[in-house]
Amino acid sequence: MPARSGQLGRKLQDPTLQGLMLLAPAVLAYAVFAFYPMIDVIQLSFMKWNGLNADKHWVGLDNYRYVLHDDPVFWVALKNTLIWTFLSVIFPPLIGFGLALGLNQNIPGRSPLRALFYMPVIIAPIAVATMWRWMFDPFFGLFNSLLSAAGWPNLIQDWLGDRNVALYSVFIAYVWEVAGFSMVLFLAGLQGVSQTLVEAARIDGAGRLQLFRYVTLPALRPTITIVLILSLINSLKAFDIVYGMTGGGPAQSTQMLAMWAYTQAMQLGDFGRGSAISVVLLLITVAIVIPYLRWTLKRQEAYQ
Amino acid sequence: MQTSRKLRRVALLGAIATVVAGAASAQEVKVWTLTFANDSANKAWADIVKEFEAANPGVTIKVEGRGTDEHKSALRVASGSDQGPDIYFMWGGLGLGGEFVKAGLSLPLDKYYAEYKWDDELLSPALSFSKQYEGGRHGVPYTFHGEALYYNKALFEKAGITTAPATYDELVADAEKLKAAGIPAITFGGTVNWHVMRLMDMILETKCGVDKHDRLMSMKVSWAEEACATASFEEFHKWTSNYTLKPFMGIDQAQSFNLFLGNRAAMMLEGDWLVGQLKGENRTADFGLFPFPTGTDRLYGFAEYNYISSKSKVPDIAAKFLNYLESTDVQQKHLGDFGSISVNKNVKYTSTEPLDQKWIEIFGKFPSTFVNGDQAFPLDVTTEYFRVINEVASDNLDPKAAAAELQKFIGNRS
Repeated sequence: MPARSGQLGRKLQDPTLQGLMLLAPAVLAYAVFAFYPMIDVIQLSFMKWNGLNADKHWVGLDNYRYVLHDDPVFWVALKNTLIWTFLSVIFPPLIGFGLALGLNQNIPGRSPLRALFYMPVIIAPIAVATMWRWMFDPFFGLFNSLLSAAGWPNLIQDWLGDRNVALYSVFIAYVWEVAGFSMVLFLAGLQGVSQTLVEAARIDGAGRLQLFRYVTLPALRPTITIVLILSLINSLKAFDIVYGMTGGGPAQSTQMLAMWAYTQAMQLGDFGRGSAISVVLLLITVAIVIPYLRWTLKRQEAYQ
Repeated sequence: MQTSRKLRRVALLGAIATVVAGAASAQEVKVWTLTFANDSANKAWADIVKEFEAANPGVTIKVEGRGTDEHKSALRVASGSDQGPDIYFMWGGLGLGGEFVKAGLSLPLDKYYAEYKWDDELLSPALSFSKQYEGGRHGVPYTFHGEALYYNKALFEKAGITTAPATYDELVADAEKLKAAGIPAITFGGTVNWHVMRLMDMILETKCGVDKHDRLMSMKVSWAEEACATASFEEFHKWTSNYTLKPFMGIDQAQSFNLFLGNRAAMMLEGDWLVGQLKGENRTADFGLFPFPTGTDRLYGFAEYNYISSKSKVPDIAAKFLNYLESTDVQQKHLGDFGSISVNKNVKYTSTEPLDQKWIEIFGKFPSTFVNGDQAFPLDVTTEYFRVINEVASDNLDPKAAAAELQKFIGNRS
């Protein structure tokens, strides 16, 4: 008996076992709340189900065939999602980076400014949507009022009602909402830039631009990777702000894949098609994120 | 010793009986309904619940209100569990209401129709929807609404319009007069698809007539092959291009109403509930009302229903509450709060408000109704109908091609 308890004690000392024990609750939660639903959605994408009763039946690739061939909205939603993603990995990170560089300097009011620029991130997206919807109102909104006051009535737009500008109007609101998040990550990265290296480069006669190019930027490489990956994933599943501002309109011209999947399942009661769209979105995400991650890891290894 | 043991047992049994009796009498009825734009409806609900609870000790009515889309989604999510409502709001008819009945989520109410004699007490046109379903009567009429054209008296006068148009051609001529006077004839909110849809529904009834209109909406004939369907889209485009307050695709119905109140457009195609909203703004004197002159003998409108969930554990008390809600006294007391007309046929109309009187006249004038497109079509076709209408309204789709575009979607349905 004492020998057994000794064995158990030794086993518990094993770092691998300790690691597994610590991981177990998180793995269990992930399996139940993330992995299982993912598998369930994949399974549902091959079925016909209205979400209301027990009648679920297998239809093979019918949902995919419909979505890719007959659905009049799917390709518009896909195009919008790709445009949105492309813009999302450029503008919010760039603006966030600029803000971080500025707010990393020893300027007066630095802390309140950091809080101010981060504020939109913590506001509920639906509130952001409502606020910007009012600013974009064609009759009483801030933007058209400013354009009128400035004497540029020809620039007045139906910001959310004209299909040529609606998506970009919503994107402006999105940039305002998320740029602060990139800023905080970049600020954290900038804190990690070795001052020793900076001083050494200065002694070697490096100017501001050279310091940035050869010291700061390489040191920020892991942060840039994280910011771009998060921006990419968040943009691919863009939903709330579009839902709140245009609902996918006018005439589905601002529809997104994530929102269209939701619409098909939750509003039109076709969980098979909704799941098929979700699976397509998952495949697109994996197809973009995995190669990018592998590429950045290779580059990091080459630098080390 | 034995006596005290017996006493303890009796006391314990008594306590258990009290708890069980309390639990049995403490019944909660969950009602899921819409948060209505008309605040008087929300207040009326609060009063009715309070009165019913006072008359039925131990019963709690818990009302949850949501926006239209959120309400539909919440019902769908709750359908797979027993956490849903006992009573839920949904429109009457095979489109929206029918979906839930078909899925077995509505309790057949034949027993309660007989017990409470609702057929004797409620309006026949409103009741007709409860008979459309297979497997018995479903749902109880909550409101019966008509939709018509409200007009701004001052703007009509300014454009030289002295009488309400009696034909569609006269309506178009009036729209032209308004345009010539620099006044947009009508206002819509484009972000809520169903608002602009009303105009298309009306024009379809006008151009196609009763029979063809119904065959198109029930998808029994091809939209692509019916000349009147294409003509309707062309006529609809004429209205959105020439006579509608612009821009309208980026605003919702509430903003459109504010513009109407602000005298920015002459007409608004709305339901009888707008009278309540105009009363709230103290503006009823500024507006008149006439039915859209479709040339048919049908009023554009719909019925709203309350259904009892098939999963309800308290269907008897839920039916009792619905009976209270529909009762003559309650409907008389809250007349005008849910709409101009009550579903209870014993209600006496004493309103001196001209708009209310006009609605009562309209309801009495038309022998039958035709429902809104989003209640006639299945949900997926409704979504496509919205898209095609909006594409035409925003000049992105040639109205000549619109009917064929809609038919293409209908043809691809599995």
